[in-house]
Amino acid sequence: MDFAALIPTPDAIPVDWGWFYVLLMVTFLLHLLVMNAMLGGGIIALFSLFQGGEQNNLLGKEVGYKLPYTIAFAVNMGVAPLLFVQVLFGQFIYSSSVMMAVWWLSIIGLLILAYYAAYIYDFKFDALQGLRTLVLIFSVGILLFIGFMFSNNMTLMLQPEKWVAYLSNPGGTLLNAEDPTLWPRYLHFVIGAVAIAGLFLALVGHFGFTKSKVDPATLIERGMSYFTKATIIQIFIGLWFLVALPKEVMMVFMGKSAYGTALLTIGLVLAVALVYFGLKRNLLLTSVVALIQMVVMILMRDLARFAYLKPYFHPADLQVTPEYSPLIFFLVVFAIGLVLIGYMIKLALGCKKEVA
Amino acid sequence: MNYPVWDLTTYGGGFLIALIAIVHVLVSHFAVGGGLFLVTLEKKAYREENPALLDYVKKHSKFFMLLTMVFGGMTGVGIWWTIALLNPAATSSLIHIFVFGWAAEWVFFVGEIVALFIYYYTFGRMDRKNHLIIGWIYFICAWMSLFLINGIIDFMLTPGAWIENHNFWSGFFNPTFWPSLVFRTGLSLVLCGVFGFVTAAFLKNDKLRQNLMRTCAAWAALPFGIMLIGGAWYIKALPEIPKMIIFEKSPEIGAYLTTLGWFVPILLLTCVFMALRLPQSLQKYMSFAVIAIALIYFGAFEFVREAGRRPFIIYDHMYSNQVYVDDVPKIQQAGFLANAKWMSAKEITTDNQLQIGAELFRYQCSACHSVGGLLNDITPLVKKYDNVFGMDAKLNGLGKLNPYMPHFFGNAEERNALASYIVSEINGIDLSIPANPVVEAKELPLEIPAFNKDKDEYVLLAWNNLGMHCISDSDPYWVLLPPANDLFAQLVKRGDSPEIITEGVEIRYAVEKGFEFPEKQVRFWEFADEIFGAELRPGVGLSGKRLNGALDLDAEKRAYEASLIPVVPYPSDGSFNPYPIFTVTAVDKDSGEILATTKTVAPTSTEMGCKNCHGGGWRVAGVAGFTDDTSLDVLAAHDKNSGTNLVERAKNGQPMLCQSCHADPVLGTEGNPELLNFPAAIHGWHANFLTDREGMDACVACHPSRPDGPSQCFRSHHSMFMDCTNCHGTMEDHALSLLKKEQEAGKKGAARLMAGLKPRNVDSLEQINGRTPWINMPDCLNCHEDFQMGMTVDAFNTWTDGADELFRNRHDMMGAMMCEACHGSTHAVYPATNNKLGANRDSIQPLQYQGNDRPIGNPCTTCHTVQPEFEGHHPNSLRL
Repeated sequence: MDFAALIPTPDAIPVDWGWFYVLLMVTFLLHLLVMNAMLGGGIIALFSLFQGGEQNNLLGKEVGYKLPYTIAFAVNMGVAPLLFVQVLFGQFIYSSSVMMAVWWLSIIGLLILAYYAAYIYDFKFDALQGLRTLVLIFSVGILLFIGFMFSNNMTLMLQPEKWVAYLSNPGGTLLNAEDPTLWPRYLHFVIGAVAIAGLFLALVGHFGFTKSKVDPATLIERGMSYFTKATIIQIFIGLWFLVALPKEVMMVFMGKSAYGTALLTIGLVLAVALVYFGLKRNLLLTSVVALIQMVVMILMRDLARFAYLKPYFHPADLQVTPEYSPLIFFLVVFAIGLVLIGYMIKLALGCKKEVA
Repeated sequence: MNYPVWDLTTYGGGFLIALIAIVHVLVSHFAVGGGLFLVTLEKKAYREENPALLDYVKKHSKFFMLLTMVFGGMTGVGIWWTIALLNPAATSSLIHIFVFGWAAEWVFFVGEIVALFIYYYTFGRMDRKNHLIIGWIYFICAWMSLFLINGIIDFMLTPGAWIENHNFWSGFFNPTFWPSLVFRTGLSLVLCGVFGFVTAAFLKNDKLRQNLMRTCAAWAALPFGIMLIGGAWYIKALPEIPKMIIFEKSPEIGAYLTTLGWFVPILLLTCVFMALRLPQSLQKYMSFAVIAIALIYFGAFEFVREAGRRPFIIYDHMYSNQVYVDDVPKIQQAGFLANAKWMSAKEITTDNQLQIGAELFRYQCSACHSVGGLLNDITPLVKKYDNVFGMDAKLNGLGKLNPYMPHFFGNAEERNALASYIVSEINGIDLSIPANPVVEAKELPLEIPAFNKDKDEYVLLAWNNLGMHCISDSDPYWVLLPPANDLFAQLVKRGDSPEIITEGVEIRYAVEKGFEFPEKQVRFWEFADEIFGAELRPGVGLSGKRLNGALDLDAEKRAYEASLIPVVPYPSDGSFNPYPIFTVTAVDKDSGEILATTKTVAPTSTEMGCKNCHGGGWRVAGVAGFTDDTSLDVLAAHDKNSGTNLVERAKNGQPMLCQSCHADPVLGTEGNPELLNFPAAIHGWHANFLTDREGMDACVACHPSRPDGPSQCFRSHHSMFMDCTNCHGTMEDHALSLLKKEQEAGKKGAARLMAGLKPRNVDSLEQINGRTPWINMPDCLNCHEDFQMGMTVDAFNTWTDGADELFRNRHDMMGAMMCEACHGSTHAVYPATNNKLGANRDSIQPLQYQGNDRPIGNPCTTCHTVQPEFEGHHPNSLRL
């Protein structure tokens, strides 16, 4: 069977694909940061509630305050990369989404439930008492499920050779569960989220953005601890993920491509450095290096995507029907948006000082 | 066809998108207007130094945040999610065309969320002026989101100049952009009042609550003007076709339009009602009732707007089923399978036909039709199709006469596969059983009257002037043709110079046993008064003739005629017999002596295949006759397509004659002069469903000429090497010849029916010669030039000039014998051995007088006692 024949014909793009690539990388980084704070934060809060004790409960409460924001922004910041990935890889992601449509669409309803559960957890933290753990399990459980669905779709979209399964099951219930990369990939994201959320909480403590009565020093300590432990686990999961990749994809990072190999090398070095800085509890340095590490990881992720799709497609193949004025319009709106948001945050921070 | 399609069956037909979109649009419009509501009330609270009002604004902002940001925001993403699953091709188009529009909208979405969080969480803690600024920023961002999405949504219905220039801005600022923006802005203001009732109604402070209820009522009611002006402007800005679909043609919009018509004033009145000083308990209930009313109103509007776009998802660019308009020619040429990805096979075989049919349904139908679901369920729509032919014909005609459906995209084989799937899998019909039974020839006993060539003085020739007279025994509902056969006879006194006898004799006729009482078989007489304005005694025909009686002399024709004898093809034993035999007897008026006796058939059939497409099955003996279901469905289709009320009339006991509106020369009706004549209308309409058929496949779908059917009306030797189309043209040619004449006469309806028809026997429409039905007919001499052996079998497109030139009305060169007297009826000219009920049934007189089945006069001595040497009847009559 000629799998390439299944791949839909893509639509033309208005500007060079590089624009979308950059926008995709930048917005995906933003999404990843917030999503990690959300998912990892939820997981950390759950662990804390399980452990019990006053500070742990307060930590759980602190996460509760942050959860509605982080869910809102995780979704919000997810819109842009999903838009740009549809621009560059629409023919793949639309197809794989249809194949797993039942699961994929369930995300929306579940997300609304998780979101409201997060608000209940936030607004009724004290009143809920013991039930708060159940509410959080419900919310975080859904977020973990959603992440798993994303991992399925992001891998299924890269493998047209698996799409033939649709012909015998067009009901939208397919998954990519048997893919050897699925679990290491998923865990790589979840564990990574715990690490980054640990850093996020430590930063909240460090900059005094706490709303609960949690002790900032404890928050920083717990956060850094979660970060370090998760990062150590992450190194092994990352290696598992690497070897689980199809050979031609894996080799991109193992000598076939200098760029890919360099990224992997930098990533490994930075990982070790992060563990070191984490153990040293050097928050700011760890944060900066972690951010660089995330950029490296995102670039690697995308390189793997290109390698997967190499037999079929590269975004440079997309037909360009040049039309630059909408891009300029967007950039102007984007700039205005940044100024507005900056201005509003300034007002909000000013207000915090007033109250303090 | 470019993308895989999610097989949804029950939840197909747009159910999922309707579910999520309607609730989302309500909340998202509230999200826009609500911003203005909050800052305005907040400012008012500051101005009045009213802490209770300020407290309300804070509470309302929490409700607002939880509803708009969580539910509104997530369902907004959900719409995108859903359309990408239901229609990835259109989603991809919209994403790629408007990528930077979406991206800009995302920026405002971020702005909205940041602003709303800050607004809510800093309420009462931020400097008043700054807090109001945050509120304003929220409102501006929310309205800009509306501004941007409005452009893209309206683009789908009215892409305007984008279709030509593919320019982002042309598509965005499309013809309905501004009116829709006004409408939606007005609506979002209305909704902030509507949702305001909910939070206000629960306030414990009675005075504040009553004040706020009035405020909300004002917010809800006052912008109605903006909304209605926007709505009216929007309708005005719509192009003609969507406007026509919305207000006239769409079968699905009517209910939603009615709902809209009711719920706009209901919403307004309810909002005004809420301004009254009501008890709190009622206010609580009513606040939710108002939201429900708003939801129904706006849901109906969205349904109308979406359905008005049919059959496109992006007007003039992509059909609802993801087929690009530009791709249609290549699909129609090479087939759907050749062009589609995601099909399980590239060729149709006997084994995979139903599977391919199912896939074609998924790819071409499921975008709008569920199977057994809530929205546009296909099941009742196709229920009447109990055979593949009918379903196939329906698919063949899709989108040609009613613009709200797309054409079927594919070739005839693929269309047949889809039809087979629907009939077999959805309707559960066993395809191995033929829809119309194969009727084997069965010779009925027939005694040829005696003739003694040496002794008998007279030759009595009798015939039916039409080779087949069709009857629609759908009398309680409508009548197309009543029972009305015309029998003719000429009496020849043999001799050296034979003489046609028109005086002193009486020619009598009597139908064979079993056919004497047609009134026991059909309900024609119950409705004859209503339909024909003739009070007929049961069994009496429209000109007063019964099944037994005497023929009247038509001196001009030198023949005797009994017109409109109400023969029906149903003998008393309940069977179907389209060829009843009449015995015709010439009697000396003075002496009462029988001068001559002969027999002839009166071909009469109710094997009219309306049921093949209209459902209902056959009424009589499983082979013929109209059932109530068939008859009603024909009317229902007419009502639906032409805006008539024929079903209602029929149910009130007022069936109609089709030709009372549609003129018809054969019945002599003048009809409505603005409407197409009957043959042009009925053939023109149905030709659109029966294009590109082989041979006479299209003809036999309706006429009783099916070779394996019970009537097989084409019985002459011509049927051995010709079919209907040789003389009448293919269905398309035939229809076009009728329609062209009507178009030339200025009939408006012709163009619509002609648009989907391409001539086949000739190269272009220009070459088709328009004709008046029953007057301008193909002539025998088109092939039999100078009465010689025909050298061609193409008689189409050369028509007789007038009724007097018709074979059935014409005489020989001497004006003596009528053509049919010697050659037999149209479609059954001698030799006519292909009668299902016996090879001799149509050749009684040649057999009686000549002992052969050749035309009368073979030999000449049948009438001429001395062999003539002069060709008096017509050239070649002596075969010299």
